[in-house]
Amino acid sequence: MSRPALSLQVRHASKSYGGAPALVAASLELRGGEVHGLIGENGAGKTTLIKLLAGLEAPDRMQARLNGSAIDIGDSAAAYRLGLRFIHQELNIAPALSVAENLFINNPLPRRGGIFVDWSTLQRRAEAALKALGIRHISPRRRAASLSAGDAMLVKIASALIGDADSGEPRIMIMDEPTAALNSAEVDLLFAVIARLRARGDALLYVTHRLDELFRIAQRVTVLRDGSVISSQPIAETSTAQLISAMTGRGAADGEKAAVRAAAAEGVPRLLVRGLQTDAVAHASFRLGAGEILGIAGLVGSGRTELLQALLGIEPLLAGSIKLDGQALLALSPARAWQLGIAYVPEERRSQGLFLGERVSQNITLPHWERLSRLKIFLNRGAAHAESRRLGAAVRLKSAGIKQRARQLSGGNQQKLLFARAILAQPRLILLDEPTRGVDVGAKYDIYRLIRQLAAAGAGILLVSSELDELIALCDRILLMRQGRAAEALSSAGLTENQLLERCYAQP
Amino acid sequence: MNGLDAKQPAGDTISPGVFLRRYGTLIGFLLIVLFFWTQRPQTFMTAPNWINITRQMSILGVVAFTSTIVMVTGDFDLSIGALASLVGIVAGTVFQGGGTVAEAVALGLLVGVAGGVLNGMLVAYVGISAFVATLGTLTAFRGLALYISGGASIYGRAIPAEFSSFGRGAIPLGAGGGLALPNLTILALLIFFFVFVFLNYTVAGRRLYAIGGNMEAARFGGVRISRLRLLSFVISGLGAAVAGLMLFSRLSTAHPTQGEGLMLQAIAAVFLGMTLSEESQPNVGGTLIGVLILGVLANGLTQMQIDTYIQQISTGVIIILAVTLSSVSQQRRAYGRWLRRFFRRQPPGRG
Repeated sequence: MSRPALSLQVRHASKSYGGAPALVAASLELRGGEVHGLIGENGAGKTTLIKLLAGLEAPDRMQARLNGSAIDIGDSAAAYRLGLRFIHQELNIAPALSVAENLFINNPLPRRGGIFVDWSTLQRRAEAALKALGIRHISPRRRAASLSAGDAMLVKIASALIGDADSGEPRIMIMDEPTAALNSAEVDLLFAVIARLRARGDALLYVTHRLDELFRIAQRVTVLRDGSVISSQPIAETSTAQLISAMTGRGAADGEKAAVRAAAAEGVPRLLVRGLQTDAVAHASFRLGAGEILGIAGLVGSGRTELLQALLGIEPLLAGSIKLDGQALLALSPARAWQLGIAYVPEERRSQGLFLGERVSQNITLPHWERLSRLKIFLNRGAAHAESRRLGAAVRLKSAGIKQRARQLSGGNQQKLLFARAILAQPRLILLDEPTRGVDVGAKYDIYRLIRQLAAAGAGILLVSSELDELIALCDRILLMRQGRAAEALSSAGLTENQLLERCYAQP
Repeated sequence: MNGLDAKQPAGDTISPGVFLRRYGTLIGFLLIVLFFWTQRPQTFMTAPNWINITRQMSILGVVAFTSTIVMVTGDFDLSIGALASLVGIVAGTVFQGGGTVAEAVALGLLVGVAGGVLNGMLVAYVGISAFVATLGTLTAFRGLALYISGGASIYGRAIPAEFSSFGRGAIPLGAGGGLALPNLTILALLIFFFVFVFLNYTVAGRRLYAIGGNMEAARFGGVRISRLRLLSFVISGLGAAVAGLMLFSRLSTAHPTQGEGLMLQAIAAVFLGMTLSEESQPNVGGTLIGVLILGVLANGLTQMQIDTYIQQISTGVIIILAVTLSSVSQQRRAYGRWLRRFFRRQPPGRG
């Protein structure tokens, strides 16, 4: 190629929200023909940086140079003109339309006489756009609804480039966790397309939580922590352990295998479940000792979440019994469960856990207001604030204070809010549903540490997780669920992920 | 897409535009007051006129304050106007049968509570949407009031003098100054105070806000949702009953449809008040401002001898204006939603 290599330099990018710095003098350079990885914990400033580049937010300070000349990314239209293209992690496609129409979704469709859609031109251009990315297995005529997540992501990428299909000019692509919803075969296809973009001279900024991906496709990697660039270097000069400690500011050593296993208590079990049956759970019998962490493994749809929800009284019991410290729980409801000392961290933190418009203190203390009240009627705000501060510190919550709104926190910190809520009143039983889903590495370690502390303090913990390594590292025993049945409990000692996976798929 | 979405406002530092959207309703209220003051300098900005406004708005105020409680959870109570009329008719019928004031008031309040329980059961336990359920009870309450009264007004000698004098009575302010605080105003202020404390300082009140914010999360977090929603409708029914009795007392007449206008105005007042909250939540302080805006408009426009139909039009325009301004700022805040919107709709290319 004869053109000079593309280069986008960003220097001293800074942005604060209400006095809280989100990005502090961050600098990085994207070069044509390179995949530049961007990593950092949730809340480290990755999203803010992307928003500045997209012209969605005005920086407090930022110098940007494109191929050496200063540019001003005033708004999103300017970003587009300058050749910046954004791929968001969420798959926004119109399922009722064809692939070809989805490709043109942000552009005018080719027309005849200014009114009628020119279908043949549309098909031809769509096919050409897909071919240009080396995508041959997706027909432009297919309904988008029939696409897999991976193919939908490829269509999304082709769609971002469709306006430039003819020019072939290299672009600056910014991809925010494009593999979040993809399986490994789909990731391979995506990486093939990324390699092709790189070969034609595109500069790519690739945001991800998955470090192994960076070592497959990236040439350079930049680590953000608390809004500052911690390191920016060729990937060949670094390692996973280095990157993790750069992201978290801690050694990677206090990692996952250092579990302190409390011996399952003798005598009366903390929780005893016999023949439990609900709409979604066919049969579950198990015991959980005080101080024990019992994992629940199983495929999606095997009834794991519903089992937890039955123990909180969300799902009504059709048969069976639940005993907490020997006391039978009858007519259970979530309100009663919290009063009895059963705490719950739900799977979907935004839709099932948080009040995004409310403040940190309200989010933490909500289930405990009877305790934090005068005469059980008037809310004691002083006590609620004190408890929120105490628990915020206990879970290492990063916020601008207890009056900040939950919406403004990063994903990992939102999850910590739910933990703070769960442990406020020293619960006897803690139900955790996918507690580390979608949180960054640093918050994950904080959450592991908390779970172990809670168990050491004597709580019984039920942990549903799809991350098998997490189950094996944290749990004393693992209960397998298959098709609504709690089939067997395995000791996690010496168990490998493959063995566990095989048991999940085993026929009953 | 409007140009306002192009930049995200930064946290706590408020730009002039954000300030206007946040406090626009308040500023608008002051401008309206200023306007009438200049137009009617002799009569508008006088203590007697303002006391008059508070009396005129006291009945609407009561239903607007208690409706705020229902609207906090995201529900509506459309039946309040019809219930207020029904309560008036019930109290009037008690008087016709020779009952005392205490009996009439007690039975009236009881009917209000029963109406609220009915609404609350339908919404919280049967699971009908509040809109449909209270639309149904609205029609039924109205029918019941017409049936009991035979479609006729109740007035005249059957109504005890002490009952109708309450609605016209006032407590003198100071000695011989000629100014007096109307009983109805005092009653409305008391109910305002009750609702204010309930919504802001009680466990139940704060939990209603949690239900309005995220019902599923509230349930999983141990909030007894059905019970609290029922409670909110009962308070709303009670408010409607108090308003119905106030109206009956002030007019010395109970007509089977005399409370009908209250419902839409009360909801409008709550909406106006929502524009004054950072998170666009119903709040009773804002509702008070909303009621005052409606009251000042009616009072001022009447003093300027503007046709009542034109008054209605201008009131409607002001409500839409206020809510439009605040919903624009609301969109800007919810930037998660807004970011997704951006990624769906990239700017058109050069094609």
